[in-house]
Amino acid sequence: MFHQPITIEEALNLRNELGADATVINGGTDVVVAMNHGALKPQCFIDLSRLTSLRKNREDDGSLILGAGTTFAMMGRSHLRALREASLSVGGPAIRNVGTLGGNIATASPAGDGCVALLAMNADVQLTSAERGERWIPLVDFFIDYRKTALAGDELITAVRVPKDPQSRWYKIGKRGAVNISLVCCAVSRNANGKIGLAFGCVGPMPITTPKAASLLNGDPLTPELIDDVANLVAQEVRPIDDHRGSATYRRAMCKTLVKRLLTDLHAGDQKGDADA
Amino acid sequence: MPDPSSPIPVEIPTTQVSCRVNGAEISRTVPVDTPLLAFLRDVLGLTGTKGACLEGECGSCTVLVDGVTVNSCLMLAAQANDRNITTIEGLAVGSELDVIQDSFIETGAAQCGYCTPGLIMSARALLNDQPDISEDELLTAMEGNICRCTGYASIIQAVKRAHRESQSP
Ligand SMILES: Cc1cc2nc3c(=O)[nH]c(=O)nc-3n(C[C@@H](O)[C@@H](O)[C@H](O)COP(=O)(O)OP(=O)(O)OC[C@H]3O[C@@H](n4cnc5c(N)ncnc54)[C@H](O)[C@@H]3O)c2cc1C
Ligand code: FES
Ligand code: FES
Repeated sequence: MFHQPITIEEALNLRNELGADATVINGGTDVVVAMNHGALKPQCFIDLSRLTSLRKNREDDGSLILGAGTTFAMMGRSHLRALREASLSVGGPAIRNVGTLGGNIATASPAGDGCVALLAMNADVQLTSAERGERWIPLVDFFIDYRKTALAGDELITAVRVPKDPQSRWYKIGKRGAVNISLVCCAVSRNANGKIGLAFGCVGPMPITTPKAASLLNGDPLTPELIDDVANLVAQEVRPIDDHRGSATYRRAMCKTLVKRLLTDLHAGDQKGDADA
Repeated sequence: MPDPSSPIPVEIPTTQVSCRVNGAEISRTVPVDTPLLAFLRDVLGLTGTKGACLEGECGSCTVLVDGVTVNSCLMLAAQANDRNITTIEGLAVGSELDVIQDSFIETGAAQCGYCTPGLIMSARALLNDQPDISEDELLTAMEGNICRCTGYASIIQAVKRAHRESQSP
């Protein structure tokens, strides 16, 4: 069966009824790749691509709420710098036209670029079920282990909430070009209240934060000494592995370099009075 | 990896796909897991759209869905319900080639030609969208299309020529 709901209620009811029997699909940029590889053979789909309400973005009390169906192309025009740059690094334009934020989060790839940018911004994710309604959880708690998430079998990811105007920076090291799985990816952000977030991709079983290193940054000015201390702690806290794309030692060193570079740049942006251009 | 030209498996449940392809109303019943690429090529016989990687990397399968570029290897045919699809076969009007097709010929931008339909569709979306195009925008619009023959210079030249031609009255 191919279900193409046009309201979120309809989609949630289908999800409730069909559970694991139905594959949820939106942009298909993960699902159909897996099908083409023979790793997935779904016989029943719930297609979210017609849910216009899932693409809506709105402001709410100092926060920005992004619908889970927001595409990379849309986020490529976001004023949130880290999210914009991360989104523009994904695939080619045809991938960005259909690939979604909700899909990026649900897939929970350790390399998920959208996930890393949002983690640094201390985002919350909204999970909704037909029977239990909505719940908001910190995005960091959504990722449990390698491709293991907090999403229940009857839930859909419906939205993501981030502070309205954080300053943020993002960078990934990988092959240059459209098709670009990163070797290491890092994002940093600072809220209006001074709270700093640090997040990393490809250095753990899932996109991760480094809470110990971030706790050194409790509102004190970002001096070069403080940034060095943070970078050293980051290098201890990340959990990279060796694989064909790079060694754990290299990844650890790059995390240190990237976090230093991005925090320094954030600080330099302050000095110039940049909002978050 | 499944061969995009292999027969469609039968044990999978079917669904009806109704959409407009190059202006014609189309309605067919296909297995639910049929990618749009297989639908266009094997069901409709529109073999101008190519497939190679089947994982969104090469762009040879690029088509327009409601005017926007999509990798047809990664969209399901059923997701295209009610939508307007344009393939390379839909660009020429009678024997009159689209300005981009014409430019590819004029600048010798095709060698083996396998990447060409996808490249032309990406260029079409760019030219539809933007009256003014910077070098950066051009390169970004084409970054999802791989060509293993030309080295790209003649392709960029062809798109620039098509852009100029479509600006001149
Ligand atoms: C060529 C190519 C390059 C890529 N490059 C990058 C890159 O650089 N960085 C990167 O991070 N990613 C990259 N990706 C992967 C990226 O496109 C996906 O992770 C994308 O974000 C998935 O979104 P989608 O809408 O296409 O998801 P789909 O493929 O439709 O779904 C993905 C998963 O999410 C589930 N799902 C989707 N929406 C919801 C929802 N609302 N609620 C619950 N579950 C849901 C599906 O069931 C499925 O398990 C690339 C992919 C390709 C093909
Ligand atoms: S066949 Fe679709 S991108 Fe390569
Ligand atoms: S002309 Fe041969 S791949 Fe481009």
